Amino acid sequence: MSRFERKILFAIGISVFLALGGAVFLARGALREVYSVGVNERFGTELVHGVEARRGQLLALRSSTEQAADAVQWAVEAEMARQRGSQRITPMLQELLERYVFVRGIRVTTVDDAVIASVSRPVDPRAEPMRVTTRDRTASAGERRVHIAVEVAVPEVYFERLQEAGAAADVYSRLQRRSASVSDVYVWVFGVLVFLVIVVAFLIGAILSRRVTKRVAALAEASRKVGAGDLSVSLPSSATDEITELTEAFNDMVRDLRDSRTRIAYLQRIGAWQDFARRLAHEIKNPLTPIQLAAQEMDETYDGGDEDYQRKLQSARAIIEEEVATLRRLVGEFSAFAKLPEADLAPADLGEVVHAIETSVPAMLEDVGRGTPVPVEVEVSPATESIRVRMDPMMLKRGLDNLVRNAIQAVHETQPDGGGRVFVRAYKARNSAFVEVRDNGVGVAEEDWDRVFDPYYTTRPEGTGLGLAIVKKVVLEHGGEVRVDRAPEGGARFCIELPLLESR
Amino acid sequence: MRRWLIALVLLTSAVVYAQAHLPARDMRIAWDRGAPKVSFSAKDLADERVRRELSGGLRKRLVVHVSSHFKGSNHALAHRTFGCAVTRDLWEDGYLVRIGTKSMRFKTVEQVLDHCLVVEGLFVGEPKNYERNKGKDIYFFVRAEFNPISQKQCRELIRPSGGSDAVGPITVSIVRRRICQAERDIEFRSEFLKVPQ
Repeated sequence: MSRFERKILFAIGISVFLALGGAVFLARGALREVYSVGVNERFGTELVHGVEARRGQLLALRSSTEQAADAVQWAVEAEMARQRGSQRITPMLQELLERYVFVRGIRVTTVDDAVIASVSRPVDPRAEPMRVTTRDRTASAGERRVHIAVEVAVPEVYFERLQEAGAAADVYSRLQRRSASVSDVYVWVFGVLVFLVIVVAFLIGAILSRRVTKRVAALAEASRKVGAGDLSVSLPSSATDEITELTEAFNDMVRDLRDSRTRIAYLQRIGAWQDFARRLAHEIKNPLTPIQLAAQEMDETYDGGDEDYQRKLQSARAIIEEEVATLRRLVGEFSAFAKLPEADLAPADLGEVVHAIETSVPAMLEDVGRGTPVPVEVEVSPATESIRVRMDPMMLKRGLDNLVRNAIQAVHETQPDGGGRVFVRAYKARNSAFVEVRDNGVGVAEEDWDRVFDPYYTTRPEGTGLGLAIVKKVVLEHGGEVRVDRAPEGGARFCIELPLLESR
Repeated sequence: MRRWLIALVLLTSAVVYAQAHLPARDMRIAWDRGAPKVSFSAKDLADERVRRELSGGLRKRLVVHVSSHFKGSNHALAHRTFGCAVTRDLWEDGYLVRIGTKSMRFKTVEQVLDHCLVVEGLFVGEPKNYERNKGKDIYFFVRAEFNPISQKQCRELIRPSGGSDAVGPITVSIVRRRICQAERDIEFRSEFLKVPQ
């Protein structure tokens, strides 16, 4: 994990855990407050009072039923004291039954369990469940003793409600006793859940930040490689953010560095070849005149009569003069290559250079045909708009001359009887200016595309291999590129790319 | 591996320490056809407050858990629970004791305690729980509780709100465990004994 990544994760961690700490602190206070409002002593006391009231109600009911049983006992004793029979007791019991609503039935029996009188209420089977209890009493008058069974009934729900109220009060009092503990549980659960959410958020943050830090780390690594001299580095840039902009800028910088290094290396190589060409021209040029003069003198001063020898001398003189002429031409070309000046760049219109080429085409055709124009059709397409570049028009024209001349020679060699065509055009595209020279000759083999611009590399017997090297040198000095590939017509296509003035 | 061993040693030490500090009480254990029958009294659970609450007319529970364990282990070989729901009858004098589906009446709280907290010949487990452990040291653990709120009642009384948040249900389940535990409890164990051959 890089330091940058650690710092990002630390920042995320600090942010989220500070939020967690704050949330837990605030939640703790808020929950305690809320809990103390909801579960407070007064409600608990009232609940306990409610339970006591229900208990008191039941005890009062019980007392009432006991009193009703006592009342029945006294009434029966009074009737027994008056020596009245059972026929008089029954209506009195009926009256008591009507008076006490909890009394469900009264039965008066002798000690031998013989029924003296019995009354009861009708039982409704649909009525709520009742708890039925018998209150037993004994009535006596003199020697007579009777047993009285008073059946009392109260709704079962009274007992159930007491139990329910008791259970609720019990739980409430426990909740009240443990109020701090309960609110702490809420805070803990809340804290743990928020912590889990934060952990997930942290992980997502880490994953997302890793995407950024990874790219920054890749940039750092790539910078180290570039520093070590590896200019083949290129970083992917698919997103649309500042890091992508930085990556693209880095890629551009590396590409520019790579191009500059290639350009500088090529120009240094060309410089070395120019130096070599200058020395070669000098060393060859000096003995040429004495050689030619010596040959002429040998031929002209021979005064012997040997005609056969005379012919040999003339033939040798002609060969020497021809080879000297060839060497002079080579020396001239070497000299021109060696003296090639550096481009002096200034803003100008590329279309004018192309137009100048058009005017020099007839001379080129004649020159290639050594006095007779060769049957090659050269089509120069003028630019439809101004193409402003920084250039040295004379040097650039010289380079273009070489390209057009090469093309004419190439198509003439393959089609000496006509049919050869050369196309020249200038145009703007992708913030660059282009000049394209293509032909319908045999073209350049693909394996030679990189080598054709090397000095002294040529495929023609009469070529010096300097023309395309000059072109490349001129174009590189203009900050551009020259490439060769296959033309749609089947021949070669040379394309010069120069930076547009407005794109700089 | 080393960490696991250390954790195991620490756990075993904690269990042994806890067992050593658990009060031992004289319990009668008789083996009947390969299964132990234990007899003991946990009446000391009923202090003055417990007796007062039992007489209050509200339903209270007396629960006794008995379990058998290997010496030095918390793993239960067998477990038995015995519980009474005691209600003082305010309508008629006496106490109504419900054990499972059976109901009994007692005149005094003392009789209730004798019935619910004095255990006589309670089978703890079946012969199959012990037959593979003959000759091994075991002990019986007793936990007597006064008025733990039953899980059912606890669920009915302490319920999460109907919201869809995660805090409520989790918190309520923790609170339930704390709130509905016994108001008073005692724990003790028997002396160590060997499973008979």
